[in-house]
Formats: sequence, C-alpha cells, structure tokens
Amino acid sequence: MRRRRFLQQAGAGVGAATFLAGCNTAPTGDDTLTIATYSSFTGEDTAGAWLKSAFEEEHSDATVEFTTPENGFNQFIQRKQQGAPIGADMYVGLNTGELVRADEQLDEDLFRSFEGTIEGSEGVKESLRIDPDGRVLPYDTGYISLVYDEDEVENPGSFDALLEPEYEDALITQNAQQSDPGRAFLLWSIHEQGPDSYLDYWEGLLDNGVQVISDWEPAYQAYTNEEAPMVVSYSTDQVFYHGPDVDMSRHQVGFLNDQGYANPEAMGVFADTDQSELARQFMEFVLSERAQAEIAVRNVQFPAIEGVTPSEEFDEYALEPPNPVTFTYDELVGNVGTWIDDWAQLVASN
Amino acid sequence: MNERRWAERLAIPLGFVLTVAVLAVVFYYPVWSVFSQAVWSDGGPTLAPLLDVLTDPFYTGVAHYLFTDPLAVPGGIATWLQAGMPAVELGLFGFTAYQALLSTVASVALGLPGAYLLARYEFTGRETLRSLTILPFVLPSIMVAVGFVAMFGSQGFLNDVLGLLGLGSIEILYTLEIIVLAHAFYNAPLVTRLVAAAWESVDVRRVETARAMGASRMRAFRDVVLPELLPSLLTAALLTFIFTFMSFPIVLALGGLRLATVEVWIFARVQSLALAEAATLATIETVLSLLLLYVYLRYEDRQSSASSGGTPLARRPFLVGWNTLTDLRRIGLLTYGVVALAVFVGPLLSLVVESVTGPNGAFTTAYYEFLLSRQTATASGTTRPLPAIINSLVFGVGTLLLAMPMGIVVAVVATRDLPGSRLAEAVLTAPLAVSGVVLGIGLLQTLVFGTVLFGHRFTVLGPVAIVLAHAIAAYPFVTRNVAPALGSLDDRLVDAARSLGATRTRVMLDVELPLIGAAVTAGAAFAFAISVGEFDSTVLLASNVDSYTMPVALERYIGNRSLGPSLGPATAMATVLLAITAASFVVIDRMGGRWDL
Repeated sequence: MRRRRFLQQAGAGVGAATFLAGCNTAPTGDDTLTIATYSSFTGEDTAGAWLKSAFEEEHSDATVEFTTPENGFNQFIQRKQQGAPIGADMYVGLNTGELVRADEQLDEDLFRSFEGTIEGSEGVKESLRIDPDGRVLPYDTGYISLVYDEDEVENPGSFDALLEPEYEDALITQNAQQSDPGRAFLLWSIHEQGPDSYLDYWEGLLDNGVQVISDWEPAYQAYTNEEAPMVVSYSTDQVFYHGPDVDMSRHQVGFLNDQGYANPEAMGVFADTDQSELARQFMEFVLSERAQAEIAVRNVQFPAIEGVTPSEEFDEYALEPPNPVTFTYDELVGNVGTWIDDWAQLVASN
Repeated sequence: MNERRWAERLAIPLGFVLTVAVLAVVFYYPVWSVFSQAVWSDGGPTLAPLLDVLTDPFYTGVAHYLFTDPLAVPGGIATWLQAGMPAVELGLFGFTAYQALLSTVASVALGLPGAYLLARYEFTGRETLRSLTILPFVLPSIMVAVGFVAMFGSQGFLNDVLGLLGLGSIEILYTLEIIVLAHAFYNAPLVTRLVAAAWESVDVRRVETARAMGASRMRAFRDVVLPELLPSLLTAALLTFIFTFMSFPIVLALGGLRLATVEVWIFARVQSLALAEAATLATIETVLSLLLLYVYLRYEDRQSSASSGGTPLARRPFLVGWNTLTDLRRIGLLTYGVVALAVFVGPLLSLVVESVTGPNGAFTTAYYEFLLSRQTATASGTTRPLPAIINSLVFGVGTLLLAMPMGIVVAVVATRDLPGSRLAEAVLTAPLAVSGVVLGIGLLQTLVFGTVLFGHRFTVLGPVAIVLAHAIAAYPFVTRNVAPALGSLDDRLVDAARSLGATRTRVMLDVELPLIGAAVTAGAAFAFAISVGEFDSTVLLASNVDSYTMPVALERYIGNRSLGPSLGPATAMATVLLAITAASFVVIDRMGGRWDL
C-alpha cells in the first residue's frame, strides 16, 4: 500500500558538489537485478525484503538490489526524456495514472512488452488489467473507501448522501495532485458523477465543508485526532487496527454506491534493460501463489491473482467492496491530467 | 613572513572567487536549466508561457487586466472606488503575498519581545534559552504539523486547557490563521536572533553620552538604539516575507489545498511534469523575491551608523522579588512568555507526548523500541537511527566550516562601497530567493542525471556534494547576520589597523569579527540548523542508500507501516532530532561566546 510522501521536494535545498563519479553506472554484474520502487517497499519486514531473499533462494546466482529515488517514478520518465541512463532494470509499484503520464510524456516506450510469456499472468483478476498493451502487470491492489466513526455518523452509503447537512464538515480527503488515495477518490467521484458534472458535485462537497489535506498520513492523523468523523482511506483499515484493546467503532469501512475504487500496483521491465530474462523470472515469481500471499499480508493489499487467500486474519479484517470499480488506461489517457487540474483550481479558488 | 602576508592578501578575493565558482556550478547552472524552459522553447526565446500565467485570473486575480486590457485599468479602478472598494479576486499570487504579509507581521510581533527580553534582561537559563530559539528551524514541517494538530486541533491540548478554564474552544485547523501561526513558529526565532544580536552590539557609551547630554530614556532609545536595531529588524522581516512567500511544506501540511500558495502550485505542476508552467511560475516568484531583496539592500546601504563595537548595554535582572509583578514591562514580558510557551513549546511538547502515546491513548515505549529494532535490523534498505544521527552531525559541522568563511567573505565584499555591489549581493543572495522545488528539479536534471562533457557523462553526487549544497543554502544566513553588524562598525577602526600595516584579512580576523561576535555566532547557529533541517538536496545527492540524515530517516519512518499506519516512529525520531540539535545549539553558542571575549 503506497502512501506517497509529499515532502519529497520540500525545503529550500541548494546544490553544490564536486565531480565524484564519471559515467553514471548502469547495473553491473551478470545476475544483478536492480529494482526501482518506493522506499517503504523495502527494509526490515517489508514485501520487498521478503521477495529479495525468497527470490535469491530460488535463483542462487541472482542478486536483487533495490533503488528508491525520492521523486519516484517521475525520475525514470525524466531520465528517458533526457537520454540519461535509466539505472534500473524494472519498476515495482506503478499505478494506472503514472503509466498514462509516462506514455503522454514520452515518444518511445519506457517499458518493454511481455504479453503472453509471463507464467501466471493469466490468473490476474480481469478488473485489474490496467495496461492494454500488456507492458506492466498488477501484483496487488487496494480499494479506496471511507473509514468512519459509527458513534458519530452513519455510513453515508452513496456519493449523493455526502452532500447532506448530516455530513457537514464530516469528511477529510486528500489532494488528488499528489496523494494516491486522494486521486483515487476523485477519479471514483468522476466515475460516478460523470466527467461533465463532477465539478458541480465537488462544489457541493466543498460547500458542505470537505477538507482536502495534502496526503494520507496527515489526513489520517487528523482523523485520529477527531478533527472529523470520516476520512478517505483503504478498505484494509481494520487489518491494522483490530485487537483486544482497540475501539473498532472508529474503524468502520464505508463503501459508497456499494463500490470501492481499485488502485492496483503494477510492475514493468524497462525497455533499456539487459536483464530481461531475469526480470521475467522475477515477475513470474511475484505472481506465484506463495509470493502473492506474502505480498498481500506484508503490503496490506489484496492479491492480484484470482483465488489466493493470504491468511485467515487478513481474510477476516480486509473488506472487499461488492463492486470494485476503476478507470481503465484508455479512459484515463488524455483526460486524467485535465480532470485533476480543473478540480485543483476549483478547490484552490474556493 | 612575506608568504604569509601574500596568503592573507589573497584570502578574501580567493574566497570570493571560490564562492562564486561553486555557486555557478551547483546553483546557477541547475536553476537556469529549469528557468530557461519558461523563456525558451523550440530553439528560440518565447513570452508565451509568461503571458499565459499573467493573463490567467486564477494566477493573478484582478491584476490580470493589467496584461489583458491595460487601457481599461484606470476606468476599472474608478468604478471600483465608486462601488466602495469591494473585495477583489487576489489570485494565487495575490493570496500568497497576502498570507506572507500577515505571517511577517505575526513573526515580528512574536519575535521582537523575545529579542528585548534576551538582550536586555538577565535571568537563569538566558543563554540556553537564546541557543534554543533556533530549534524550530530544524524541524521538518510534517512534524510541525503533527505538533500543531496535537496542540491547536479541535481535540488538542489548547482546547483542553480553554475548556478547563471555561473559555470555550477554538477551531483554527486548516485555516489561514494556523498557517500564519506556523509561519510565525518558524520565523519569529529569526526576528529574535537577528534583533537580539544587534541589540547586544549597541555600545553602552553612546547611550550614556546621549543621556548625559540630557536626552530622556525614550529619546536615547529612539536616537541611538533604534537606528542600530532597524537594519536587523528589517532584514528579519524581509527574510520572513520571502520565506513565507515561497512557503510550501507548511501550507501543504496545515492548510490543505484550499489555501494553496504559488510554491504549492509549482510543486503540483512539477509532480505532473508540466515543467514549463512550473518554471514560469517560479520565474515570476523569484523575480519578485529578488526585487524585494535588492530594494532592501539599497535601503540598508543608506543606513549609515557608526558603531565601534565596545561595551554592550548592561542587562537588568528579570526577577526582582515581588516588584516583578508591579513593573509593567516585566508583567508584559511575563504575558509574552505565556504566549510564547503556547506557540513554541506547545507544539514541540505535544510532539514529544505523541511519541510516547499509543493509538488507544495509553503510554507506550513501542516507538522508541521500534527505533532500537531498526538499529539492529539486518535487511538491506533498512533505515537505522544511529547512522542518521552521525550523518546529520557530520554534514552539519562540514556546512558550518564551509558556510562561515563563505558568508563572511561575501559580507565583507558586500559592505564595500563599490558600484553595483548591491546588485552583486542580491545575486549572491539568490539562494534565499529561489524556489526550493525548482532547485530540486534543477539539481536532478543536471547533477544527478549528469551532464555530457567531452563525450563523458559526469554526475555530481555523494557526501561532499551534500555538504556543498548545504553550505550554499546556509551561507546567505551567515551573510545576512554578519553584513548589517559589519556595516555598522566604525570605518576608522579598519583604517587605523590597516595604516598600522595589517592586511585586510588580519583586520577582519583580529578587529572586526571579535567586535561583532554575537552576529557571527548567530550566523553559525543558522548554518548548522539549515544543514540539519535540509531535506531536498540531501536525498537527491545521496550517492548510496546510507547517506540519509535525521529528517530523511524520519520521513522514511512515516511511510513505514510495520507498526500500523502510525506517525509514532516518526514522532520518536523527531524527539531524538530535537534533543540532539538542542544540545548542538547550546554547544555552538557556548563556543561562540568564548570566542566573543
């Protein structure tokens, strides 16, 4: 589950340096697979750490290395644009909007195509196949939903209900310009209200006192501090919070229109890699049932492969929406940028 | 001996040239690589992006008529005056300037009494208190946001206290008020430090002379003390305005999108890789900041006051038994103390409390145990607290050693009366006036991605690069602390020493700097603080995964979910950051104080 940092460009940094290195080195060694990802995917107890050791165990010659650039996936679009070395073999943790952005920004393909040759990819849930060209494959997904305090409000149950006086000053959401759940919630509202009337809908939400906070962490922190009784979050909320001394009334998951918005995470192999065979093996490993169960538990996301049960505990507390919805790649191309810009201007001028 | 004299003669010009060279490679070049996209497209100069922004009411509000229909502006103003001057659309730039103005007023109001208290009164712990005033500077904004929510939130500590006193409650979260307050939290210390340093440099003999000649206390203050405080006060106010005009993380963290500023918008444009638009906004922002800086430097230049350092004013004891409560000034300062406690100590203390409070509200040491477990973890990519602490301190000391000579050399050059030296200083102070977001993207596409020279791609990364980057961010603070103090020194002292055969460098080291010790120490504290709090270039220029500092570690713990979605580990790391930097500032001030004598 990715909660992107919003501080990545923060602070007034200033640069100076000495010339230390010559050529920017591409991954070296015959069997080193350099994987670019976001920083919380790696480190102690993470899905990344498990994948590394389990994959290296199965492929005794291979070494997996992670690189976590601070501006995330954008860095690779920019490297490609400027003809700088990509510096990694594959990317793990991509969403649909980012793939759209890469394709809109670049003339050449950033990722290479693998359609048909990845063992296990046929088991990927139909609703999560985000790339019509089959370059990137989803490995897990979260569902965006509301989390609410049942002692203070009832589950609104629908988008329209959020405009009622009952829910005045009741909802905290995130900035769709930089937050994954925030963007998913906006896209969900566009999905339901339609591209022509979502701005009217949001004008109503703003009049009803919705708070648009920069990112998931501060938003959830504000919710925890009881600034509002509802927050846009993930339907796996209770996986974190169940326990003998936890008051579950504040961790109720509310789906709207019986839906949750799917925000799949995908992986792809950079076109410039010279490790495509090893990368293919890694992708197959990630899609294997054993890895799917581990990733789901460690990432607190749902598996992308049909029929995988992560664990009993996960099954009990992770709630899946009756009707998962999401925009496809083709629906987002040419639209998502304008949708978000128009929305942001509306919020900022209010 | 002769060689040494040559070295001394060359020290200042050489230091200046080196400073400019470093700036050129790692500041002007990266920044230009971004700005050029605003004015250059398809191989030729263009005004289109600039006009797009200036004519868009979303950005410029009512001022967009200046660019779309300039001839109708006088008529429009007349109509507006007749209508009784109703509120107008400010646009993004207008709103940004408006909140910066409010923030500056608040910072001065909150910082000035502190300077008065520290400079004019003696009490136990005064020096430690002065050292700690700079603490807010090192705190990453997301932690300030956590502290502010815990302190000023609707269920926060302040409302608990107000409720107990039967005073009702306040709702200021996600409003303009809390942004202004948080800006004051960051910038009032700037006012306090700069003004206190100037106040401590006022020569008691000049005040006594004025008094002996019959001036009232008020008159002596107005004619002798005030002229010496004014430059430092205006410096602080100007810096505060520029910082809050370009404010980004605080607005992002506490205001939400409804209160977006220009810099927040630039960040969002960069995120969606709309670099030309981001560059255009940043160009306008920087031009405005630099203009302001230039106008101020011209003003500062005209302030001619001659002080020869000498004996500072004696401090009055603050506590004078029961009389403390009958003296109006002391009561005022006590009241100020309560307000300062709420604004400065409140959020920091709330942060510390958060670090030992579990999700169910009970006491927990889990977050500190988490830090310890990270320290002993073996998985690659794990962020460990100890290397973060050591890196922060090493980078901080390196920055101090580099930024001090750089800042002082620039201050010495700037205080000379050469044609264009104000302009030169404005350009050299540009690191203060350029958007941090833009610099980040500039560093990325030049130094990190590399530049092709002679068929090779050169990248500039690693610890040395980080220290240089920190030094460039920090040295303008040294200059802005030192230059006003240097400018107020009596030129005759320098002339006398030079006529006795001392080189310019010797005069600076032996005569000038000891006389303005307070300002130099304040500059050193800022340089260290800037380095410790710096985030952006640190993460960009780190050549391997182990170059992280305390703020970077803290930021990574925010994204770590092994304790559930909790800011707990980050608040624990923030507490460690606070403790270690607090100790460092006390050490810096003590060492500065020794040298002061």
